[in-house]
Amino acid sequence: MTGLFPGFLILSAAMFSVGAVGVLVRRNPLVVFMSIELMLNAANLALITYARYTHTMAGQVFALIVIAVAASEVVVGLALITGVYRSGHKLNLDELSEMSE
Amino acid sequence: MNPTLILVLSAIVLGLPTAGFAVSAISAGRLPHRLVAWTGPGVILGAFVATLIIFVAMLQQPASSRGITVVFWHWLNTSVASGHGVAAQTGFNANFSIRIDPLSVLMMLVITGIGGLIHVYSVGYMAEDPGFNRFFAYMNIFITSMLLLVMSNTLVFLVIGWAMVAFASYALIAFWYERRSAVVAGRKAFVTQVIGDVGLYLGAFLIFLNLRGAHGQLLHTVNMQTIFANVGPGAHFHDGLGPLGGGMVTAIGILLFLGAAAKSAQWPLHTWLPDAMEGPTPVSALIHAATMVTAGVYLVARFHPIYQQAPVAAGLVAFIGIGTAMMAGIIGCTQYDIKRVIAYSTMSQIGLMIFAVGVGAYSAGMFQFFTHACFKALLFLAAGNVIHALHDDQDIRLMGGLSKRMKATFVAFTVGSLALAGIPIFAGFFSKEELLGSGLALGPAVPWLWVVGVLVNVLTSFYIFRVVWIAFRGEPRSEHAEHAHEAPLLMLLPVLVLAGLATVVGFLNVDFAGFAPITLFSAFLKPVLGVPAATASDTAGALALLAGFLLSVGGIVLVWAVYGRGLISRELVPNHLPWLYQLSFRKFYWDEIYDVALVRPTVSLATVIRRVIEPEVMDGALGGIRDSIAALADDFRTFQTGFLKDYATWFFFFAVVGLVILGLRLS
Repeated sequence: MTGLFPGFLILSAAMFSVGAVGVLVRRNPLVVFMSIELMLNAANLALITYARYTHTMAGQVFALIVIAVAASEVVVGLALITGVYRSGHKLNLDELSEMSE
Repeated sequence: MNPTLILVLSAIVLGLPTAGFAVSAISAGRLPHRLVAWTGPGVILGAFVATLIIFVAMLQQPASSRGITVVFWHWLNTSVASGHGVAAQTGFNANFSIRIDPLSVLMMLVITGIGGLIHVYSVGYMAEDPGFNRFFAYMNIFITSMLLLVMSNTLVFLVIGWAMVAFASYALIAFWYERRSAVVAGRKAFVTQVIGDVGLYLGAFLIFLNLRGAHGQLLHTVNMQTIFANVGPGAHFHDGLGPLGGGMVTAIGILLFLGAAAKSAQWPLHTWLPDAMEGPTPVSALIHAATMVTAGVYLVARFHPIYQQAPVAAGLVAFIGIGTAMMAGIIGCTQYDIKRVIAYSTMSQIGLMIFAVGVGAYSAGMFQFFTHACFKALLFLAAGNVIHALHDDQDIRLMGGLSKRMKATFVAFTVGSLALAGIPIFAGFFSKEELLGSGLALGPAVPWLWVVGVLVNVLTSFYIFRVVWIAFRGEPRSEHAEHAHEAPLLMLLPVLVLAGLATVVGFLNVDFAGFAPITLFSAFLKPVLGVPAATASDTAGALALLAGFLLSVGGIVLVWAVYGRGLISRELVPNHLPWLYQLSFRKFYWDEIYDVALVRPTVSLATVIRRVIEPEVMDGALGGIRDSIAALADDFRTFQTGFLKDYATWFFFFAVVGLVILGLRLS
């Protein structure tokens, strides 16, 4: 590994860890959501770094797919959060347990 | 030509209609109609001015350097620059690049020029319509798509433009969506277009996969200039070139023509065009006469290096073109809807163009496209004036006596009819004679195709003057016709401009039968399309000219004899050749054939699946799976606390465990 590649990978790992911790400890679903986006983008960064390093397209194409999936996921997720809020619940993950019923 | 100038100008040409679309579409109904009435046509006329500047810049260049490719941006580029210890290598790219050459500039001039006039006309025609803004949004996006189609230098953007055109056409045919017939017509058009799209895609893929360069290496390129440069004589496809041009190149030619046939309403994908007349009349003029339906002609002319290598495919193109021309001509003689007559006439004329590009007379085919765009848009807009004046009556049996009530429209419609019928000094005469003359010269193996082409002349002048006679002469046959008024100036002006064009543009190319040749038009296109391999000898050409002219006049005389003087009974054909009349009146039964052969089997199959397979097979099997999983799930239910964080923790826990195991195994 030469040049900036290790740096990009470390950055990607750091972003991923920050995102993972955010998902685990935060209570606000919107912040959890942003943390998930952070993890996705960390994965994208790793994919593109390796694509660049190996001079192949697969990683870039996969990153494009991740972006598309992330975009649709945002749509579904935000709709769910709005739906939960509209049904009269507080947006606090520690108090929402209807999924088991 | 200065690449930067061309880049900026073509960005304007493509950008203005897109901006117009964005303004009309995003604002939905909120912008006042008065504003959209300016922006809608304004952006198209702006694009026309930019095209004119490109055209003038092009004329100042010598003929050999009139083609230029400009790249808007790089896209999907897998080329590798040298560095990191790797040598540079060229890879695949699908750059957004634009080809500016005489052929594309001709198309751009017609699209923006005629399109601009039709936009102006639409301001008057659609003035009372609540969907005014939506209409201009669709019209503008159509212009963008069509421009993209003709300007693109890569197969990828050609395909994108091709598909966007189909969408815009669908949206405009089904514009009056409260009308069930309009929605059905739009759907039919779209489905037909998609069948053609599949042909175009497959043809493009075959080119991409199989084209070889000069050293026999696979090129894997979508750049159309590279493709044409490598498709010349001695082209390297996988299977080489046999005496008939090789199976691969023939397959490509036929598949591309499938796309062309769908766009240009050629048999067997022609049934959508008459139904497309459900859309507003300016749409019929713009899309279903002047521009979109000629995309197939453009495609064959643009890909002529491929058709020159594939005589079988080119012969098929010519054969289908002339057959469609004849069939549509026969159908046109018995229809009563004024727009449908003109629609069948369009199908027939485009059949002639397809015939011309099939036999290799590319320049003659494009000239016919050019004059046809002028006079067919004229006929549609004049018919639009009539329909507007008659409160949306389209049946010519309800018209009559309009020549006194709508003088200017009558004159314009007659000029369009004369041009269409191919009467001298009007544009259609020159283009059609050149087309048929070069067809005669270039198709020696099949001279009877030419005979059929000349016979189309008599049908053409018969069906169009039948409309002139029934709709405009005689006494009014309905209350609306009695109280018809001339159209407002805004709708009359574009019609008169087009009438002027339909009279004069023919003189751009007077090149047949030993006349003093004026070849401005074919000389302009020569750098792209080359010269025809042969021209008819003077004697044969003169005889052909005379035959074509006499048959055109014969059609008019026939109309006069039947509808004017009553010398020949109108019931002659229906009474004595009822099968012929029914064949024509029922449009050769194609709709019925497709209904029986395609639509009904599909619907029956779907019904069987819905009634039998879905409840019995699918639900039964799925039900069993569901029950067993439900039993299993009871055991796992203890994990389901309902708190998101518990799930996330479990998820991360097992992810880490998995990663650790993976790491241990790898190390």
